[in-house]
Amino acid sequence: MDQDTIQYDSLENRPLPKWLTDQRDGLNQYQPEIRVMKDDRSLNTSFMITGAVILLAVAVLSIYILKKNRKNANTTPG
Amino acid sequence: MRSIYLKTILIAGIVSLACTTKVSEWVLLNSLPDEYILAYYHKDPLSETVIKQNSAITGNLSSANIQFRSVLKKDIDRPYYALIYDNRLFSKYYDPRELKDLSVSPLREKIAAELMSGKLCVMLYLKTGIPEKDDPALQIIKRTIKASPFREIMPLVEINRNSVEEKHLVSMLLNVESDLKEINEPMLFGVFARFKALEPLLAKGISEENINLMIDFLTADCSCLIKDDLPGTDILCTKNWENPMPAMVNQILDENPLLVHH
Repeated sequence: MDQDTIQYDSLENRPLPKWLTDQRDGLNQYQPEIRVMKDDRSLNTSFMITGAVILLAVAVLSIYILKKNRKNANTTPG
Repeated sequence: MRSIYLKTILIAGIVSLACTTKVSEWVLLNSLPDEYILAYYHKDPLSETVIKQNSAITGNLSSANIQFRSVLKKDIDRPYYALIYDNRLFSKYYDPRELKDLSVSPLREKIAAELMSGKLCVMLYLKTGIPEKDDPALQIIKRTIKASPFREIMPLVEINRNSVEEKHLVSMLLNVESDLKEINEPMLFGVFARFKALEPLLAKGISEENINLMIDFLTADCSCLIKDDLPGTDILCTKNWENPMPAMVNQILDENPLLVHH
């Protein structure tokens, strides 16, 4: 029980000493970290990013090739 | 570069050793007892007589865990001595003769000698003087100690709440917690290290289960949590705590590895 904390109405309800309750509850040792499982979304994210990069590359290359073809068509004497 | 590796291994070794030292042994070897303050409150300048009187008092308290201070205080009726521990007022003394044997007594000498001899702790049983209350709890204590593998290193010492010879010790024990003076029930204090008294088990709290938890606490590996927040109150005692005998608990645990716990 901490000093100056008399908070009980009868002797039966008097709190037990803290060292004793800590020993009983195993709190005198550092408790292992509690690890919580989280959803692993890294694979989905990876697929989405890969897909986006491929689509972007295709789009950029398509525009580049189309522009190049159009340029060639304009410069070729007909 | 090689010296860094050596230092790392050395520090790791020391840390691992520290964590396997038992609570009772670690505190005895490493934790200095907290000091009391004996304050002399006065409103007038100190006379020669009082200076000599205080000098005699401090001489008797040398090598105990206590400091003496004179405090000028205007709003008091008459001078007095106050025994203070951890900002808590333990006792007031208006007559300096009351301070006789403040830091020494036969029972404190006996308990300190037990602790220095390597014992795990001393079970200090504070009796009310009412046999109907004292005897049943005493039987539980004796039975539990007898059944413990550590029985040889946990001497039981009894003291009466009304003891005149041990009045200062009784007063300090009843100040371990702020409400103990008002509770006229038998109390069991685990005393360990340099006369540190744990908050007691009292009345129906003196049970086999709780006494065994006290033993578990003292025989457990000393964790950093305990080191950071040591429970208990240091009792005022004149004693040289240097060079105690090796802790006997280690031999018992070495012979009975199943008793090792954290």
